[in-house]
Amino acid sequence: MFSFQVGSLLNIALILGTVLGAAALLIWVERRLLGFFNDRLGPNRVGPFGILQSVADVIKLITKEDWIPPFADKLPFVVAPIILPIVMLLSFAMIPFAPGVGIIDMNIGLLFVMAMAGLAAYSAMLGGLASNNKFALLGGLRAAGQMISYEVFLGISLLGVVILSDSFSLRGIVEAQSDGWYVFPQFIGFMVFMVAALAESHRWPFDLPEGEAEIISGFNTEYSGMKFGLFFVGEYIGMLFMACLIPVLFFGGWHAPFGLEFGNEIISGLFWMAAKTSVFIGFFVLVRAALARPRYDQLMSYGWLVMLPLSLLNLLITGAIVLMQGS
Amino acid sequence: MNIDLFPLILYGGIVIAAIIGLLVASYLLGQKRTDHASQDVYESGVLPVGSPNIKISVPFYLTAILFIIFDLEAVFLFAWAISIREAGWVGFIEVFIFIAILVAGLIYLWRSGALEWRTTRQMDDRQSIKGEGGVVNIKRLGDKTSETPVKGSH
Amino acid sequence: MSTPEESSIENRAELPAVINELYGKFGESSFVRQHTAEGMPTLWVGRDKLLDVLRFLRDDYTPRFEMLLDVTAIDERIRVHREGQPDSAFTVVYHLMSFSGNCDIRLKVALPENDQNIPTVISLWPAANWHEREMWDMFGINVEGHPNLSRIYCPPTWVGHPLRKEHPARATEMEPYAMSDEVQDREQEALRFSPEEWGMSRKSDTSEYMFLNFGPNHPAAHGVIRFALQLDGEYVIDCVPDVGYHHRGAEKMGERQSWHTYIPYTDRIDYLGGVMNNLPYVMAVEKMAGIVVPDRVQTIRVMLSEFFRICSHLLFYGTWAVDLGQLSPLFYCFVDREKAFNIIESITGGRMHPSWFRIGGVAQDLPNGWDKLIREFVDYFPARLDEYDKMIMANTTIRQRTRGVGVMNTQDAFDWGMTGPALRATGLEWDYRKDRPYSGYENFEFDVPIAVNGDCYDRAAVRVEEMRQSCRIIKQCLENMPSGPYKSEHPLTTPPIKEKSKLHIETLIDHFLSVSWGPIIDPTEVSMAIEATKGINMYYLVNDGGSGAYRTRIRTPSFIHIQAVPFLSRGLMLADFTAIVATTDFVMADVDK
Repeated sequence: MFSFQVGSLLNIALILGTVLGAAALLIWVERRLLGFFNDRLGPNRVGPFGILQSVADVIKLITKEDWIPPFADKLPFVVAPIILPIVMLLSFAMIPFAPGVGIIDMNIGLLFVMAMAGLAAYSAMLGGLASNNKFALLGGLRAAGQMISYEVFLGISLLGVVILSDSFSLRGIVEAQSDGWYVFPQFIGFMVFMVAALAESHRWPFDLPEGEAEIISGFNTEYSGMKFGLFFVGEYIGMLFMACLIPVLFFGGWHAPFGLEFGNEIISGLFWMAAKTSVFIGFFVLVRAALARPRYDQLMSYGWLVMLPLSLLNLLITGAIVLMQGS
Repeated sequence: MNIDLFPLILYGGIVIAAIIGLLVASYLLGQKRTDHASQDVYESGVLPVGSPNIKISVPFYLTAILFIIFDLEAVFLFAWAISIREAGWVGFIEVFIFIAILVAGLIYLWRSGALEWRTTRQMDDRQSIKGEGGVVNIKRLGDKTSETPVKGSH
Repeated sequence: MSTPEESSIENRAELPAVINELYGKFGESSFVRQHTAEGMPTLWVGRDKLLDVLRFLRDDYTPRFEMLLDVTAIDERIRVHREGQPDSAFTVVYHLMSFSGNCDIRLKVALPENDQNIPTVISLWPAANWHEREMWDMFGINVEGHPNLSRIYCPPTWVGHPLRKEHPARATEMEPYAMSDEVQDREQEALRFSPEEWGMSRKSDTSEYMFLNFGPNHPAAHGVIRFALQLDGEYVIDCVPDVGYHHRGAEKMGERQSWHTYIPYTDRIDYLGGVMNNLPYVMAVEKMAGIVVPDRVQTIRVMLSEFFRICSHLLFYGTWAVDLGQLSPLFYCFVDREKAFNIIESITGGRMHPSWFRIGGVAQDLPNGWDKLIREFVDYFPARLDEYDKMIMANTTIRQRTRGVGVMNTQDAFDWGMTGPALRATGLEWDYRKDRPYSGYENFEFDVPIAVNGDCYDRAAVRVEEMRQSCRIIKQCLENMPSGPYKSEHPLTTPPIKEKSKLHIETLIDHFLSVSWGPIIDPTEVSMAIEATKGINMYYLVNDGGSGAYRTRIRTPSFIHIQAVPFLSRGLMLADFTAIVATTDFVMADVDK
């Protein structure tokens, strides 16, 4: 029960603690990195290097008024911010962090993850529609349009990986990459997935549902206090999740590059998994600092007319190659 | 294959309890006060006109319909992807035809303008612009990084 | 003595061409000519002939007067020195500008106290709309035929017309003001947008329109302005800008400040323009007083003005990128702006509002070592701009977001009174500094950048190139700074030269009066304009021989430009609207005065 094996209590406790801690740290990391990219300091007052900034933020958010607008639809208004962090945390149950480290190994892990990503869209949509605020409504509409459009090929872009590994289990996919990362045969799939992942988690530059230059804060305009905090934390957990999922699917998960394995395979696996995740977190922050936001119509036609055909093409080519090799 | 779902259920329970716990803590600890304009809807600091509950124009619904069509069809592709080796070339050809129909539908939608979110003015104005844009009368020596401008038309 | 007809024929050859032509067309008896300090052709015309004369000047006269630069009014009722002018209680002033002929004309219409009506000129220039609303708001002059003659600066609940002489100029002359909950509710209710008032319908055949208050408190509104948007989903059907949240009554304050003490108020008109705002004002006063400033003063003024042009354009550049969703450039631009402000601070002691220009000079001489700081800046800055070009102007998303968005051609720009970079982006190569040089700009070598499409991208590109040209001008100031005094020898220079006060008691008294009251200048009128950061900024001063202006009129570019936002953004998307608002580059203090 307390050993390193998938599903043990120790695993559950460690993973939940690490994910929550990492998400809180991530808020600080992103702000410091953004500060670095923007030629300024970022938060550096609370604790050494400002590392306790998130703690201060949580204390502030918890003691803020828990306000439900009288004009809002109460139940969906309260439920909306809860959905996002819960589904994002649940998705982590499928992530194989290292051999023997994980919460559950399901044979439909990838489908579970996709289902959770689909549910996450409800968070922004419900929040936007329940607020009875026009900015929130516009944000909710944008979230709906953007997330359902990009969800279509979010799934299709991963089918190449499924074909190669012959598995929906994330652990199976990682194990299948022991002799080569999927990013090379599945480069198109990887690119499409990256874009879709950014759009699904409405990270910059796809932050149209909350694009503040246009619609103030979009779907969460009327949210304050901890309910806003849950949206906020949920977004960071989502970003962390995507940064974990991409190495699992395309970069060999816990497998060390160039045979740089060391010590215990669990320690080595955790180290490389964390290293790869950090690279993608850095990448997400860099994207946020560098790119500009497309317009709604550009986002949509890009998705439907470029990404969708590209992912279908990738799927067919992968299938044909696999069949040719097999016969 | 029979999976023990207990860890997932346990983990899920903890997660849900933690998140709801945060909200409850905030409800208990948060300050409570009401000022004159606390209960107003936020609309840039002035009173709103009209309700946000309105009939919204068609393009938004169209996107939803497109999603349903394409996402449902994607479900079949999921099933094929996991069984590609069993289905073999016959399956591949079937999927090829299936995707071809899908793409034909996409092309039809595109040609009929269903995938055009732009307004007529956006398209017209975009058509009317000339050249690369930007300053036309001052050329820089060599590439853009040169510091000294060459004399313009003055 | 000859008869009036003979004298007029004799003098006609010496008259400005436009007056000559108007006399020929409408008869000399239709007009009364007035002389002003800057020598601009100024004619009084009857109300009944006004529209014909304006239409003639706009359409049939060569060169055409394409732009209605300004419309304003003067409350003449307590003015003492009106020699040679027709009787008038309220005078409406039209200032027309010809770009093709590079000349101006001012037309005045006298209104008696019991008949304060004037026909609208919106049919000739759509830009007249807001000017006429302002005239109604400030003077209570009724504009006949105006589509929606409502208050523009003052809240809808305001009583009285502030620029009338009987309206109090100080808060202490009025009841103490308190904002109780009831007052707040009443004011908020009065601010609630009414689509019907603007002839908008609430729904179309297929959907209902959403009316969205974009501002006054909105991150992309660039200050306290409200755009009431009529939206169909993401699409902008129409837009009504609502200004006045930042109104401070700068023109009214001009009536109770002395010539000298009004200078700090001008800084705060376009608060990004700093001392550049002082320039048209002090030049106007100097013109009236006949002060000629030394070369060194001119060059210092040019140098600091160009620094503020760079500061203002940098702020535009960064905020424009943020409005398009690109975060980082804002910070880079602010770093550079900070470097420019450090130089400004070491020269003037102030940063955003140094109030540093004086009537007849500047406040102090340049400090020791000023040239080193500036040399560092001019060596450093162009390379940074090149870097931003790659980051912002060459960015594909930004090009897609801004090219072909918010398009206007030169004729549209004339109609809407657009000046400055917005006008040059449509392809008209016209710059006040080049075409009507002031303060010694004729001695500098610089180019006037233009673009051809007149879209958001071009407006930004013109500003970026202007920063390079400003840097070039600053470099020339640095290399060719004339030596000499930093203020004029003229007795009306304020504050006067201290050494003169030490001669004997008479000069000491003169000095004392000059410092405490400021100069007293013979009655006249003058207008003086410059190429400010955002377009043509003009001061029109009516001097009645007092210690300050009888009427101060400030023509600010931002006020006029905002009026064109609905024209630019109809039929586009909400995201385009943000891009258009950003490239209109207004400052609310400049809009609301």
